[in-house]
Amino acid sequence: MNYGPLLFLAAFFALAGSWFGFVLTPQAQVGRLQTTNMLGGATLYPQARPGLARQGLEVYRANGCADCHSQQVRQSGTVCNAVLSETGTNLPAVLAALLKLKPALSEPDAGQWLSTLPRPVLEGLKPAEADAAVKVLNGAGAKAAVWIVPVGPDLARGWGKRRNVARDFIFDYPVALGSQRIGPDLANLSARQPDAGWHLRHLYAPRLEVKDSAMPPYRFLFEKRKVERSPSPDAMVLPPGLAPPPGHEIVPKPEALALVAYLLSLRAEAPLFEAPLSVAPGPPAIAPGPPAIAPGPPAIAPGATAGATAGATAGATAGATAGAAAGTTSTNTAPTNAPATP
Amino acid sequence: MNFSSSQPPPMPPETAELGAGNMPVPVWLMVLLFVLLYAGMVFFDRYSGWFDAEVYMPYASLADLQAFQPRGGGSSLERGRAVYENICALCHNSDGKGKPGQAPLFVASEWVMGSPNRMIRIPLSGLSGSVQVDGTEWNLSMPAMGASLSDDDLADVLTYIRQSWGNKATAITPEQVKAVRAQVGARSQPWTAEQLKAIP
Amino acid sequence: MNPTASSEPAAASAMDVSCRRPLLVLLLSAAAWLVIASAFALICSIKFHSPDFLAGAAWLTYGRAHPAASSAFLYGFCLQSGLGVSLWLLARLGRTGLAHDWLATAGAMFWNLGVTVGVFGVLAGDRTGFEALELPGYATPMLFIGYALTGICGALTFHQRQQQPLYVSQWFVFAALFWFPWIYSTAQLLLVTFPVRGVMQSAIAWWYADNLRVVWLWLAGLGAVFYLVPKLARRELQNRNLALSAFWLILLFGSWGGIPNSAPLPAWMPALSTVGTVLTTVALLAVSLSVWKTAGRGAGPPGALENLPLRFVRFGALAFLVAGFMRVLGSIPPVSNVTDLTWFGPATDQLNTYGFFAMVNFGAAYWILPRVMGLDFPWARLARAHFWLASLGVVLLAAPLAIAGVLEGLKLRSPDNAFMDVVKATLPCLRLSTMGDLLMALGHAAFLANLAGLAARFYLPRAASLFSSLTLDLHKPAGAKP
Repeated sequence: MNYGPLLFLAAFFALAGSWFGFVLTPQAQVGRLQTTNMLGGATLYPQARPGLARQGLEVYRANGCADCHSQQVRQSGTVCNAVLSETGTNLPAVLAALLKLKPALSEPDAGQWLSTLPRPVLEGLKPAEADAAVKVLNGAGAKAAVWIVPVGPDLARGWGKRRNVARDFIFDYPVALGSQRIGPDLANLSARQPDAGWHLRHLYAPRLEVKDSAMPPYRFLFEKRKVERSPSPDAMVLPPGLAPPPGHEIVPKPEALALVAYLLSLRAEAPLFEAPLSVAPGPPAIAPGPPAIAPGPPAIAPGATAGATAGATAGATAGATAGAAAGTTSTNTAPTNAPATP
Repeated sequence: MNFSSSQPPPMPPETAELGAGNMPVPVWLMVLLFVLLYAGMVFFDRYSGWFDAEVYMPYASLADLQAFQPRGGGSSLERGRAVYENICALCHNSDGKGKPGQAPLFVASEWVMGSPNRMIRIPLSGLSGSVQVDGTEWNLSMPAMGASLSDDDLADVLTYIRQSWGNKATAITPEQVKAVRAQVGARSQPWTAEQLKAIP
Repeated sequence: MNPTASSEPAAASAMDVSCRRPLLVLLLSAAAWLVIASAFALICSIKFHSPDFLAGAAWLTYGRAHPAASSAFLYGFCLQSGLGVSLWLLARLGRTGLAHDWLATAGAMFWNLGVTVGVFGVLAGDRTGFEALELPGYATPMLFIGYALTGICGALTFHQRQQQPLYVSQWFVFAALFWFPWIYSTAQLLLVTFPVRGVMQSAIAWWYADNLRVVWLWLAGLGAVFYLVPKLARRELQNRNLALSAFWLILLFGSWGGIPNSAPLPAWMPALSTVGTVLTTVALLAVSLSVWKTAGRGAGPPGALENLPLRFVRFGALAFLVAGFMRVLGSIPPVSNVTDLTWFGPATDQLNTYGFFAMVNFGAAYWILPRVMGLDFPWARLARAHFWLASLGVVLLAAPLAIAGVLEGLKLRSPDNAFMDVVKATLPCLRLSTMGDLLMALGHAAFLANLAGLAARFYLPRAASLFSSLTLDLHKPAGAKP
């Protein structure tokens, strides 16, 4: 029997199967993702990277930064905390509720406990348990909420607030997920290292900023040139061992500046439906811009209430989106103890 | 094998290309294959979220993911989104663009952006018959998906629809929902487009 | 079909002669690329514990030297040597000469041109950013033409076979012939020409990398294994059904692996990948059982173990099993939570490519080329040294990296371990692996030297006689007979 055509067809259908599973189906699911609202607001996520940052991604690709740095923050689970933010007016009832939830707390300590709010009453709960605890506290007149907290070794290390999901990368080409951690994970880098000067020094001489670093120096991204009339404002400030000879200065090339712009745009901690987390409400990172012209309600005769509130609310939401769209979004305002070395 | 001389090495004594023994595959290997297939199915059931595009590890399923959505004290949009994904997204799609043959879109739809009184009535009692949505004709039947929702939840999900995907309209308050519920009473028949247009 | 003993060597040598030039071009260029790749890999390995090594040159930075090494190895060595051995197998098992052997030779030249342009492009900074597909887009047309020519030669050879019933190796090799162009064209189209959006790029890149580095290498390598093992052990293959079931299992489940559990993709994709990978365990066991029964200790005639090609192939089969198991283990969530994004992945990959595929191809080259050229390798001792250098090198490369990966993964689970401390803890293992890289580079250089010596031994006398006949013509007096 001539097995030739059978072999050909077998190989073809086997490959077609995995192509269907890993190329076609995901393309329908993940390949057409759009920006979406973040949880907790009308702010859109993700924002396209500004032009210099996109050029920086090209530098990132060309020099193979993804060979040592990953951008895949992982998450091993999610827990709920019952967080008490205000005691309200009925203090005895709240104390009673608190003691019921935390039997280990003694009465005098409970009063002191309540003086440093907001505080998590119970941590590491399942959603139903947390809901029940919050109901008890709210029933006593206090203001309590369930706080959603992703957990995992990467998150505990400060590499992110939640895991990376597909929507974090829809504007990137190429997507630089990396496959190894010879250097730390960079997915949420700008949240823990927003200093451009640090990044430039780190690129020029990694061991200047991180002792015993295994990263090679990228001196070819900088140029040494004679000081013209006055030193350039971009000139690097280096210690004596690395400083250029007198009359010269070391200035980052456009590639270095682009790369640093890209690194500073790396942030993936917005709460999303597929990666929920609670964020502390706070002022947006940039002031909202002037309200855009609000589109009027359509021709179908609007009700009286709709007409009165249309102008105000439409203006406010339009303003918030315009302001947020102008730059990088930042919803995290809770201070974290960022370690000195990322 | 003689490597020292520069003569071509002698051919092995057998002449024809070797055949291959034709004994059956050991049974334990086939058993192992089926055991692994079964284990694989069990694993897939637990870890895969059953092909849902929004379920990422460590969440086990869409329900699991929804249980962990932030709630209480957050904005109505969060709550509204949770309800939307649970109830409306199945037909109207998570991006509000609808599904052809199933449900019309919400993006820039005049029924969404227009009078709240009309919009609230649709999930309360349903909508059937011919209706024009953004120039397209639809003639399906929507059940009363919102009849069992509380005033707060229905207000939240309608606000979410009115303020997502580029839609910019006013929020709908639970009081408005309550008022409409009182007006509609125990109506069980779905609305038609003509009846809704008559409502201010 | 049983040709008589006296006619067999004559038929074989005629067929072998037709393979001579393409095989020599393919294997010699593969060996040259292997040495280049080993040199770059050695430089990269040194950079881990001496980051300032050669740090001045932009083209030698790790992010450019590493993809240059891996591309030179995969596209320069693996594909060419795999194709060469496959072509010979198709000819031999079909009892026919290579159809239009100039096609294969021309294909090899185009392929080499493409890889050269590609590697230079990578060093200049034009890498695509997708692991295993790093060669820039402008090198692709040459690679396509090269593969098309060689592949057509192989397909025609298969078509014109004199012996209709297929031997097991032909299944593997014929499937491999089509596998590569399909996955390569899909990946090029969807990643470089009309790029897909967002994380889909990574999904397709992982799919392609797994299909190339695992499935294609397994198909091409096992084709050689299933031919050489019975041949060298002088026993019938035990047994055909095991080998064929391995074939079907690799085809069905092998291409479903590759998506790591850490990926930012919906959960079903890594889960499906894990299931597919775990199911290849059966294929691993089937192959290992078959090889063990055919050429395990105590099988085959005495003295067969001294057989150098058999040593290479047995080492390769063992590495196949170990690397396959490492891959299976690394895909299961409890293990992958520790080993993902650590050195464990590269260790598995290196063991599979260097330990299995390269070693099997070395054995195949040492067996096939003397037959095809009609001459033996000039330096037997160098060949033996090659075996020891390569096998020791692979062990010294893969084992420390695997240990480093597990160590790194375990330490990174606890946030109390500072990242720099974890990096420092892996350094001793990395130094050992550099030793392994060095030994392997030396072994590969020995291989290239032997191959070049064989080619010289073959062509120099011919060149000399051609030269002397030409000059004799010049010097002979007019009218005299040559």
